[in-house]
Amino acid sequence: MSNSHLLMKAGFITSPAQNGVGRYVCQLQRVVLKFCKNNGSSRGVRDFIESDLVNFAKDHPGVVVYLKPRRHRGPVIVAEYLNGEKQHVYCRNFTSEVVSKWLTLLKNQQGNHEGMRLRKMWHTDHPSIQGPWTPYTFREPSLNLAEFPNDKLSSPASLEPSATDRLIEAFKKQQLKELE
Amino acid sequence: MVFTTAVNFIRSRGPDEFWRKRKIFKLAAHFQGRKRNCYSITIRYVHRALVYATKGRKLKKVDMANLWEQRILSGCEQHGVTYPLFKESLSRSGVMLNRKTLADLACWEPQSFKALTDIAQARAAQDGLNVSKSLEPPSGVVTRGMIK
Repeated sequence: MSNSHLLMKAGFITSPAQNGVGRYVCQLQRVVLKFCKNNGSSRGVRDFIESDLVNFAKDHPGVVVYLKPRRHRGPVIVAEYLNGEKQHVYCRNFTSEVVSKWLTLLKNQQGNHEGMRLRKMWHTDHPSIQGPWTPYTFREPSLNLAEFPNDKLSSPASLEPSATDRLIEAFKKQQLKELE
Repeated sequence: MVFTTAVNFIRSRGPDEFWRKRKIFKLAAHFQGRKRNCYSITIRYVHRALVYATKGRKLKKVDMANLWEQRILSGCEQHGVTYPLFKESLSRSGVMLNRKTLADLACWEPQSFKALTDIAQARAAQDGLNVSKSLEPPSGVVTRGMIK
C-alpha cells in the first residue's frame, strides 16, 4: 500500500491473539445509527431497524445502540471503540442485509483499521529459527582462550606458496631425484 | 439611494478556492514556515515533494536490491565462496532462490545459508568452475557426480 497521504496512519499487521484466551471482551463500545425518516437512501437502514436491530441489541448487551433520526441527511453508522477510535460507515442506498453485515464487522473488529497503511504485508514474532546471524556465529569458541600475540592466528587465512617457496620445493625434489 | 455599482466591483473568484487550496496544504503540513502557510509558495514545494516521491519509488527498489546483494556477498565471503560463483553454482544445482530470500536466509537462518554455500562449493568442484582457485568439495554434501 502506498503512502499517498501524509495524515495516513501507518502500522504493522497485528493479530488480536490475546482477546478471547482468558475472556473475550467486545471492543465495540457504542453504535450510533443516523438516518432520515422518509428519504429513499435511508430505506435500508430503516428496514434494518424495524427487523434486526432489536435482535442485535439483545445479542450484544455490552454494545450501546443509539438511534438518531436526522431529517434531510444521508444515513451513517458511527462506531466507537473502547480505545477511543471512531469509524464512520456511510450507508447510503444500502439494503438491510448489507447494514447488518457491516454491523457484524464493526462488532467483530478490534478497532478501526480503515485508511491504515500496512508497512509490511506479513508479521512474525519469530523471524529466526536457527538464531539470527551474529559476528560470533561462525567463529570458533577456541578464540576465547587464545592468547595474543599469536603467530598462527595472525597469519593470513589462505596463503598460497610464493614463488620463492615453489623454487625451494622444486630444488628439494630435484635433490631427492639425484640421490635415487 | 442604493448604489449597486460599488458592489459589482467585488471580485469573487469562486466558491471552491478554500478546498482546492486545502488539498495542497494538507500535503505540506510538515513543512517549515511560509512553505506551510502561504499557498503560492506551498504549491511549488508540494510539487517538488510529489516529484521526489515518484522518483523515490524506483530508487527504493534499486536500494533494496543493492542491500540484498551486499548481504549475500558478505555471507558468501565468510564461507570462502565468491558471489558470482555462488549464484552460478546454485542455478546449476536447480536452487532457484531470489536475492531477497537469500539475503533473508543469510541474516536469519545462517546455518541454512552455510548449507547453500556448501552446495555451491560442491557443484563448483564437480563442474570445474573457478579453475584459478579450485575449491575442495566440502564434507557432508552428496552430488550427482559422486553417485554416478
